[in-house]
Amino acid sequence: MRNVLRPVLALFTLCTLLFASPLTAQHLLVPMDDAQQNHLKAYGLAFFALKAGDRAEWFLNYRGGSFLLPDDPALRRKAALDGVTVVPVDDGAVAAARKEIAAGNMDAITLEKAPHIAIYAPAKSPPWDDAVTLALRYAGIEYTQIWDDEILKSDLSKFDWIHLHHEDFTGQENKLHLGFRDAPWFIEQRDNDLTAAQRNGYSNIPALKKAVAGRLHDFVEKGGFLFAMCGATETLELAMAAQNVDIAGPFFDGTPMDPDADAKMDWVRAFAFQNAHLEMSPGVNAMSDIDGHQVNVPTRRQPLGQFTLFNFSAKFDPVASMLVQNHRQVIPDFYGVTTSFSKAVLKSGDVILATEDGAPWVKYLHGDYGKGSWTYLGGHDPEDPQHNIGALPTDLSLHPNSPGYRLILNNVLFPAAKKKPLKT
Amino acid sequence: MGRVSGEAIRSVLILVVGVALQASPKPVLAQAQTAAANRAFDLEQAGRLRDAIAAWRQVIATGLTGQGVLGLERVFAQLAQDDSVLPTLDSLLVQTPADKILRAVQLRVLRSLGRERDARAAFDEWLKLAPHDPVPYREYAGQLLADGRAAAADTVLQQASASLGSTKALTIEVAELRAALGLWAAAAAAWRDAMTTEEYLEQTVVYSLQAAPIAQRDSVRAVLRASPAASSKKVLGTLELQWGAARDGWRAIAALTAADSAFDTWNDFAQEAERQGAWLAARDAFAAMNRLRPAPSTALRAASSAISGGEPVSALELIASARSQLQPTAIRTQVLPLQIRALTQLGRAAEAEALVARDSAMLDAGTRRAYARQIAWGWIRAGQVEKARASLAGASGDDEDEVSAWIALYDGDLAKARAGLRHPTETTAEIVTAMALLSRTKADSSRAAGAAFLALARGDSAQAATRFERAADELPDAAPLLLALAARVQSARHQDAPAIAIWRRILTQYATAPEAAESDLEWARTLRRKGDVAGAVDHLEHLILTYPQSALVPQARRELEAVRMGNAQ
Repeated sequence: MRNVLRPVLALFTLCTLLFASPLTAQHLLVPMDDAQQNHLKAYGLAFFALKAGDRAEWFLNYRGGSFLLPDDPALRRKAALDGVTVVPVDDGAVAAARKEIAAGNMDAITLEKAPHIAIYAPAKSPPWDDAVTLALRYAGIEYTQIWDDEILKSDLSKFDWIHLHHEDFTGQENKLHLGFRDAPWFIEQRDNDLTAAQRNGYSNIPALKKAVAGRLHDFVEKGGFLFAMCGATETLELAMAAQNVDIAGPFFDGTPMDPDADAKMDWVRAFAFQNAHLEMSPGVNAMSDIDGHQVNVPTRRQPLGQFTLFNFSAKFDPVASMLVQNHRQVIPDFYGVTTSFSKAVLKSGDVILATEDGAPWVKYLHGDYGKGSWTYLGGHDPEDPQHNIGALPTDLSLHPNSPGYRLILNNVLFPAAKKKPLKT
Repeated sequence: MGRVSGEAIRSVLILVVGVALQASPKPVLAQAQTAAANRAFDLEQAGRLRDAIAAWRQVIATGLTGQGVLGLERVFAQLAQDDSVLPTLDSLLVQTPADKILRAVQLRVLRSLGRERDARAAFDEWLKLAPHDPVPYREYAGQLLADGRAAAADTVLQQASASLGSTKALTIEVAELRAALGLWAAAAAAWRDAMTTEEYLEQTVVYSLQAAPIAQRDSVRAVLRASPAASSKKVLGTLELQWGAARDGWRAIAALTAADSAFDTWNDFAQEAERQGAWLAARDAFAAMNRLRPAPSTALRAASSAISGGEPVSALELIASARSQLQPTAIRTQVLPLQIRALTQLGRAAEAEALVARDSAMLDAGTRRAYARQIAWGWIRAGQVEKARASLAGASGDDEDEVSAWIALYDGDLAKARAGLRHPTETTAEIVTAMALLSRTKADSSRAAGAAFLALARGDSAQAATRFERAADELPDAAPLLLALAARVQSARHQDAPAIAIWRRILTQYATAPEAAESDLEWARTLRRKGDVAGAVDHLEHLILTYPQSALVPQARRELEAVRMGNAQ
């Protein structure tokens, strides 16, 4: 019955599409300002076009960071299904837009290939969501899930972009043993990590994660793009700087932290931070003073405010501009294991993408390292300011215009940009 | 019995006098303490806080240190001078360093002042004085939990476990901690253990566990079900009720016995279920109460819940049990209304009519009219429209009456139905459906449509579906609506094949009708339910692309998303 109906439906749909929109358009403009019904799926539409071999353009600072795609029935169909607002435009309209772009703080960046994306996540999902996985799945952007074995044994150069989220590269499982050591999911997670460590020739989890951090360091150094959120930002930095010092508490490697660990950290190996101080108490649920908010230490916890995205010159700082494209400049803050980054520990070359006015921390950072680059966004889930363990994943169909999630997706498309001399 | 010597008598007298001399100041002192405390309390209540401070100091001077310090703590807190109680505390602690009340106040005040280190030092000092006492741990952990500092409380309880050998004496704090940490199964187990000795905790346990997220509730249920204790069953019953699973809640407490104070538990449960509109759970609980302690009022309440829950047969049984214990007047005022509701709901209008006729002389005109309307509905449910009309005519000559309008609709007189249903007294699904048809078609009559609505009212869904489909031929201007109604009924009967055939007809013959989008959506849902994901996707995509202006598009997008993500329905 279905087989009989499918051709009928397809024909009907095709006719509807052909007659519903002007036939003369050569391009589809995907506005990313408030006219857009679904900002998040719009990134998926651009990715879909690149995946199909089409070229796309990203009009930085033009109508909220719009995309220009070729007019194509398949793209129109996907846009209609996903509820993405597209405006058919002809060459004349595009020329007018380009003129406007040339005259203002805007630029047109060519996107030439769909990036190969990897997300570092365990095979069995822990009881918290991963904002990037949610965003990619919702937008319909393909990715490969990798974990420790793949990081250590496979060729990472096949990926353009690797994402890290909540993982603790110091190997201390985010110190969740302080509250969850008897929880079945915690025990399973620790056992899995321990098994992975032994499988890869490491005696404990901290040693395994340090090795993983080292491989990620090399990935960036050789030209990869790394995007990290939440606790992965801080712990990756600590793990990279602590290659030769024990910074893990006794619960995880059987030995206490090196009492001189602070002094022995090699911050040259870190991407973003320097001279941070480690949390020396194994009973305090914090890793260092990198995080400005310290959400899991009640006496230190700072309240949430809102952060402001910086404006960059689209023509001179296209990378930074891409990363902050948004239809909102001020965005409500959200907690994570690491929520923000103290200004006091930033390296001089860091590019601050977003900060909270008057606060001693920043929210969003970017920088180059070797031939690659990294971007850090503090916090766990932009639409769930206090995401708790065990809470249901955020339903992004209820937040199709989320400015916080847009920041994540900016990072996804950024590696698709055609290389040109970058000033940042 | 031997003779009592004079010396022995003198000794006894001395002893008695001695005791009297020793005892006599105590009542005096107690009176003085009570008077001082009453005065201080009165001053505090009157808002004379400065005077109250002096008065509570006086109370301390009489020896009632605990009460006096607690009073000072309250008053200083109201004056935002929490730290002012500390000097008094310090001097009292020199005299009685292990006093539990003084130590607890000290911890509380230091914490409220944010002096965490001092609080910790005070706690450690208290522990040194009472190393084997669980009270310091309980007090400090409880205060940390109240502050939401679960990790810190956990550390204190671990320390208690190491020092005391176990946390048996701290089960409440352990349970609260586990709940605060989101360890719901462990929290349930700890609360279950705590309740074995402290039954009064039931409400506290419910309050604590009701916050368990949906995904964690099964683990809580498993823990409580595994316990044979009545307290666990009671807690589970209340939790299920709070979680919207009233029937499961009733099953949890149904097996309680009289020894478990079952009656009171069932009563509380039944009233809450009734309040929530969980009628059948309320019926079960009231019926069980009636079996334990038969009472007409309880049986009738159970019957009322049964009728509201759509189970009138069980209501009639309960009514019968109550009827034999009541006087004629009570039967007429309390039993008869329920009997009429139950019988007419069952379509047994003749019996209802006979009951009303028997008491007719004793009923006022308003009551008779109300019964007549109910009986008319009873006749309709029995398929006897003429008798319904007669029943109504006997009590009301008002042609505009809503019931008359329904009868007109069943007769196929759409014009009269349209007039009578213009201002319905309530908005039910049936009214909305009828109004949709009456506003869609310009026709003034349709036998087939009337017959379809009548079949629906009788609960004959198979006939209703067939007749709605037939009515579509009779009323071409409302054909898509009538077909959609037919498909809805077939779908509700789980007759997917005929439902799909109707949706196909709507999509091919009436592709521009408002019902076309609905047909796509319902067809997709049916296919998804049957596991045909590709078919479901086809229809959802068709809906979105073909009817982009339909109000159903956002819903279709959500469902398309769910289908693609592989979420089970």
